Amino acid sequence: MARFLIEVIGTLSDAGSLFMVAAGLTLIFGAMRVINLAHGSLYMYGAFLMTTFVGASSGLRFWWSIALAAVIVAALGAVMELGIVRFLVGKEPLTQLVATFALFLILADTALHLWGNGARTVVAPSSVSGRFTIAGAVLPVYDLVIIGVAVAVGIGLWALLRHTSVGWRIRAAVDDPEVLESGGVNLRRLNLGVFAVGALLAGIAGAVVTPQVSVAPGMDESIIVTTLLVVVIGGLGSVTGTALAALVIGIADTVGTLVAPTWASTFMYLAVILVLVVRPWGLLGTPER
Amino acid sequence: MPIRHHTPRRLAAGLALLLLAPVAAACSSTSSTASSTASSTSGGSVTVGESTTLSSSIAELGQTALQGLELAVANINAHGGLLGKKVKVVSADDSATPATGASNERSMILNDHVVAMFGPVVSSVASAEEPIAAQYHIPIFFSVSNDIALMTSGFTKYGFQLVPNTVMEPRAAAAYLAHEAGSTQITVGTFAPNYSFGTSSVAGFIQALKDLHVNYKLVSQQFPPLNATNIAPYLSALIAAHPEYVYNAQFGGDLVSFTQQANQYGFFQHTKMIAMYSAQPLEALGSSAPAGAIGFDRAPFWLAGQQGMDGPGISAFISQFKAKYGDYPSAWAIMTYTAAQSWAYGVKKAGTFNGTSVSNALSGATISTIRGPITLRACDHQANVPEYVGVVSSTVDPTYRLRLWDPSSVFIAQPKTIMLTCAQSLALRS
Repeated sequence: MARFLIEVIGTLSDAGSLFMVAAGLTLIFGAMRVINLAHGSLYMYGAFLMTTFVGASSGLRFWWSIALAAVIVAALGAVMELGIVRFLVGKEPLTQLVATFALFLILADTALHLWGNGARTVVAPSSVSGRFTIAGAVLPVYDLVIIGVAVAVGIGLWALLRHTSVGWRIRAAVDDPEVLESGGVNLRRLNLGVFAVGALLAGIAGAVVTPQVSVAPGMDESIIVTTLLVVVIGGLGSVTGTALAALVIGIADTVGTLVAPTWASTFMYLAVILVLVVRPWGLLGTPER
Repeated sequence: MPIRHHTPRRLAAGLALLLLAPVAAACSSTSSTASSTASSTSGGSVTVGESTTLSSSIAELGQTALQGLELAVANINAHGGLLGKKVKVVSADDSATPATGASNERSMILNDHVVAMFGPVVSSVASAEEPIAAQYHIPIFFSVSNDIALMTSGFTKYGFQLVPNTVMEPRAAAAYLAHEAGSTQITVGTFAPNYSFGTSSVAGFIQALKDLHVNYKLVSQQFPPLNATNIAPYLSALIAAHPEYVYNAQFGGDLVSFTQQANQYGFFQHTKMIAMYSAQPLEALGSSAPAGAIGFDRAPFWLAGQQGMDGPGISAFISQFKAKYGDYPSAWAIMTYTAAQSWAYGVKKAGTFNGTSVSNALSGATISTIRGPITLRACDHQANVPEYVGVVSSTVDPTYRLRLWDPSSVFIAQPKTIMLTCAQSLALRS
């Protein structure tokens, strides 16, 4: 039972951070039909900025550092959208991939120059860096923080999309951008907003996970592949699907680890194949017309 | 050392494949964008090449090694060059991929006419580069990757290893443990990513425990997939087995990640981990560095003056390095510096840049380096360098402002006790 609880909490915390990154990517794809390969870079920048802001201190500063890092990443996202991504809307998928991959490389090299090639760490405030015991299982408190932030992000996104006029427009843009534009909505401004929000989510995720990882070059690359998997099996453009998919990937990874450790990564891809065989458009996606 | 698999490419299934193939393909070319400044042997200069990993999470190893080479070459040039010629360095990123490393190396040999190669970070890349160097009669120096296979099954007369290999390093850790445990039985666990360097390093450690007659009981062995994001299942399995000691074959950023997560489970309260806690990971960990854990290191700058770190000019080198690059030299930088010194010695002794003559001159030679005299023994070209082991301190070192090792705990494993004998090494060649 203790072991089971450890697995469950570990999986949920993993899925939580994955969801935050993937939700941003899927939101951007939904509204703009652009796959942003540099999305993982935004996540890495969130983490690096966090190491800069927190510095050696811990405590209250930790929390506002997360917010500050995320806001700066959102601003960076806005600049990316204005400078490059908006010109990719409606272009060939290959053009989009090449252009955003170029962005990925530029951001990676820039990060090397800004933060160097070594690993960095962040220490969580003592209030959340301890452990708690439940049913004999000793669990890190910080896992609950990640899960909590992910849930809050999920609820926030749901409220934004379902209960605000901006959300209504975003959903309309996902369904049919032309109709929306003929209705007098400034699609460019909407896209800019969506991209910035997507970047914000990646920034939050990157900043929040810092106490559990080493912040180093290469974070961008490792996250983007898993994120694309999550987005694809969740159904491109579906935020709820993304949440489900993050869980599926997390569970597949954990089960794989327990059943056949040397095949663990295969389990993840098996889950992807299974989902796509049954629903080629993803768990909650809609078939392209 | 390590073999790093790149981003998983087993990306099956229709749409997933369609979406991801460009990423995977593109990632492998991330860094064939070499930063090489072309030059040739003509006109009063010769060129040496270093193709290594300059991007991704292990970039620190390759980049600081390259700094060591560049500083060594700058110093050679400052003293009038070699045989009257200036030395230039070309470098390129291999993205930790054997194919990229091999093509970088070929291009350096054929286009830049390099007269020596300095080896990569990753052992799979090193084993791809070694035969190419031999094919073109160019000496190649391994100062980061440390697979013993490079000097045994993959031996060529053109390859030289300036770093404690995958037998020497775990033997040193095991020797420390043997000393600490005495005759009492200890419980041991292991943790290593499931790939060549990880598994062979763990196997080497267990073998060394047996050889040293340590009274141990193996209670848990964990081999998570490389790049596993959620290590909670492995950690919980390790914790459940209550080992007193855990040998961890991770290094750099991966070791830092493990330590961060293990800290949150209170892992270090009951278990002493044995791992490559060198200055860089300890600096990255700062106050979360696990006091009491057992670290090993291949060439720690802060032990300057002690055996194996006491050659002429070591302190001048350290301050010169710090002034130039703003940081203390990593073990990779120090060992690559000695590799460059070895090459220069070979050139002077041979009186030519010819690769075959230089390699012949170096085989069995004893070279005066910043680490003191180093012998590249004739039978397998392995340098007789020690390995350092010590306990992570709970206090900050006043000189370096870092939490390093407790000075009284430092153990220097002697080369002759941790190296294979020539007979053993030759037996592995076939």
